Amino acid sequence: MQCGTMVAELLQFIIAGLKSGAVYALVALGFTIVFGATGAINFAQGEFYMLGGMTGVLLTTWGVPLPLAVVGAVMLTAVIGAAFELVAVRPIASGDPLRIIMVTIGGSVVLRQAALHLFGPDERALRPFTAGPSLRLLGAAVERQTLWVWAITAMAVVVLAVVYRQTMFGKAMRATSIRRDAARLVGIDASAMVTASFGLAAALGALGGLVVAPLTQTAFYVGSGMGVKGFAAAILGGLGNPVAAVGGGLILGLLESLTAGYLDPLYKDAVALVVLLGVLFLRPQGLLGGRGTEKV
Amino acid sequence: MTMLKVRGVSRRFGGLTAVDDVSFDVHEGQIKALIGPNGAGKSTLFNCVTGFDTPHEGSVEFKGQQLVGRRPQVAVQMGLARTFQNTQLFDEMTAHENVMVGAAARHAAGFFAAALRLPTALAQEQEAAATASRLLRRTGIEEWADTFAADLPAGIRRLVEIARALATDPSMVLLDEPAAGLNATETAELVETLRRIRDDGVTVLVVEHDMGLVMEVSDEILVLDRGKKIAEGPPRMIQKDPLVIAAYLGEESDDG
Amino acid sequence: MRTVRALAPYLVAIVVAAGPFLTDDRFLLKVLTFVGLNALVIVGLALLFGFAGQVSLGHAAFVGLGAYASAVCSVRFGWPWIVGFIAAGSLAALGGLILALPSLRLKGHYLAMATLGFGELASLAFVEAEPVTGGVDGFSGIPFPSIGGFEFREPAALYWLVWAIVGIAVLLATNLTALRPGRAMRALHGSELGALASGVDTTGIKVRVFVLSATLAGLAGALYASVVGFVSPSVFTVGSSVTFLAMAVIGGTGSLAGPLVAATALTLVQYLDALIPGISRDTARIVQSFQEDVYGMSIVLVVLLAPRGVSGLLKRLGSVGRP
Repeated sequence: MQCGTMVAELLQFIIAGLKSGAVYALVALGFTIVFGATGAINFAQGEFYMLGGMTGVLLTTWGVPLPLAVVGAVMLTAVIGAAFELVAVRPIASGDPLRIIMVTIGGSVVLRQAALHLFGPDERALRPFTAGPSLRLLGAAVERQTLWVWAITAMAVVVLAVVYRQTMFGKAMRATSIRRDAARLVGIDASAMVTASFGLAAALGALGGLVVAPLTQTAFYVGSGMGVKGFAAAILGGLGNPVAAVGGGLILGLLESLTAGYLDPLYKDAVALVVLLGVLFLRPQGLLGGRGTEKV
Repeated sequence: MTMLKVRGVSRRFGGLTAVDDVSFDVHEGQIKALIGPNGAGKSTLFNCVTGFDTPHEGSVEFKGQQLVGRRPQVAVQMGLARTFQNTQLFDEMTAHENVMVGAAARHAAGFFAAALRLPTALAQEQEAAATASRLLRRTGIEEWADTFAADLPAGIRRLVEIARALATDPSMVLLDEPAAGLNATETAELVETLRRIRDDGVTVLVVEHDMGLVMEVSDEILVLDRGKKIAEGPPRMIQKDPLVIAAYLGEESDDG
Repeated sequence: MRTVRALAPYLVAIVVAAGPFLTDDRFLLKVLTFVGLNALVIVGLALLFGFAGQVSLGHAAFVGLGAYASAVCSVRFGWPWIVGFIAAGSLAALGGLILALPSLRLKGHYLAMATLGFGELASLAFVEAEPVTGGVDGFSGIPFPSIGGFEFREPAALYWLVWAIVGIAVLLATNLTALRPGRAMRALHGSELGALASGVDTTGIKVRVFVLSATLAGLAGALYASVVGFVSPSVFTVGSSVTFLAMAVIGGTGSLAGPLVAATALTLVQYLDALIPGISRDTARIVQSFQEDVYGMSIVLVVLLAPRGVSGLLKRLGSVGRP
């Protein structure tokens, strides 16, 4: 029996880890897409996660039905992401990654403060997508919302993969991320691809913020912490490789949850930083191999 | 004496082999040219030799010491300096300051000595400034010394970069297309500069598109095509080499 | 014009040194002491951002590390103040080294993300590590600085202590930027490839500058703790790091004077209500609640419109007559 409870406990940790891991994966995908298009790290990525959750909450308090609120919040955040690129990133004609990074740092502060002024300083929660008690799995509890997190993440990844592989838009995005100048030569509008990448990254971040908002509360300040975790996930997989970003997210989620469960919940938030520094130090191309982080 | 000994160097990018099993020597006191059509792998080979890139296979020996896997600044400290096809000057510094950066390459004085203005730091500062002035004179551009690099004409930028490379006190310099963007007078002056560099005892390996310049100045020519070495020898021999002629004719028909 | 520019640093130094003779307003002296503490952090950030072109979002955490380290040394261990001061600098330097070594070996700006992670984690740790830091309630009862038998308890004495240390830091940093290390930093900022080809140990330079800037932040933290006598975790947030970064960015690249001017101006804004007598509390509160917005917006605007910041503008004014 002792053995049974230990298995149940482990299973519970794994479920929790894969739950937050799925969210990290969505944020990590956002980093990877923007890095692919610009070669720069988008420090506002975490704020898109925050904006998704917060606008979703706002729309539901206005009486918008939940499914519509979710779709609306994703689209709104995508528009904000694309607009942010048009206003702040596009004017940097040289495409200098340092300047892009600085602009996204400044932009993330502006977005965070705007959320503070608009939504107030309080923590908010979104209604679960389906009501009802948790499900049981081999002695472990699975909240219904966790199933939504997995389902929506899986759907987003599949849709993204299809778009990238099958559509002209996806092929243009991939070409741009391999070589911007060459893409331009074959007639791809590279700057439109950069705008699209910010919109897409914002949508993915927002989706992450929305699906998890019923489980963990959201607030105007949650963006930068999630940004670090999503980036750690992206680099764990290998920056610039979408499949690896998802793997990196799930691994990071598991590591965090196992650390919290078996060591001390206090250490949970240190995992991402340790992973980030460890990967940069030991294996900059990521566990699953990307094309980022070249050595000088 | 063999200055640079390259053996079996290969570098791939994904499925593309940019440099394919290339071997060659550069002897002390030579001016050797590396030529080839666009995309022949010249710049990649240059990067592999200078530590800016790591070959997948092969070895690069400079003055008897292995270079593969060393960082670029180590190569510089061993006496191997280079310039770039797209000049890499420090735009917000004057020409003189640019060359001073190179002149300080082998100095040891660090943060501590500089912050406290220790005599070693000040002495090395003077030495670097004197070296920089001397090399600006040697390359004939001393009147541009106090101009910010951003404001220099393209031809002068190339010379400043050469002066900066020479300031590191190299045994050998690798020049990547030094004549690109130069007019006829400037190119003629470049030929003189290259000869003067060699007469000062510095071995030269130069990547160049300007055939007139290559034929005039080089002691030996190495020809790359699609990553492979297709010919090596003195200018007269290369001019007549059927493989070389084919490679260049191919390029012309591709272009036009 | 030339003589004015050459004399300016000395004039500024004299005015700063004479501060306590020019006013006997104790509060104003306190505020000006805080300006000095920020200036100490900004000297390091000006080197890091303005010269070496590296971004840190974690410098408030180094200030916090230094503040708690010196507090623990003097209160818990009962060590002399100067020992705590040195310990604070050393601990921040060690933290800086641990962050810098992995992040700076690579191309790109991984340092910015690593420092952001460090900043987030540190602000959590300052709250959670209650036995050491006093948790949310903060750490109180920190003694004033004292060297030998002399205790700096009067505002004027604290002012002089802080500004003397700022003066030393500015002097050392000026020397550093004028000689080989400064050229190497500007070189790698200008063209990393060019710097490597000129034999500059770019990674080594970046790591050294980062460790130096972390050390200065740690020392500023130690001074802060003993000037205020109380340390609260709410001061060392990522928001404060962004404020520091904004000061360095607005101040501009390739200069110490620009960032120092920006640090002074932006610090004074935080005490607006106390400094401008007529201003209502509400006005001041509104101004202060939009402070971070302004910092974020200024970073964006400076990067887009005037990448060289205040110092770039000053230089352009000064060089109107240049050929």
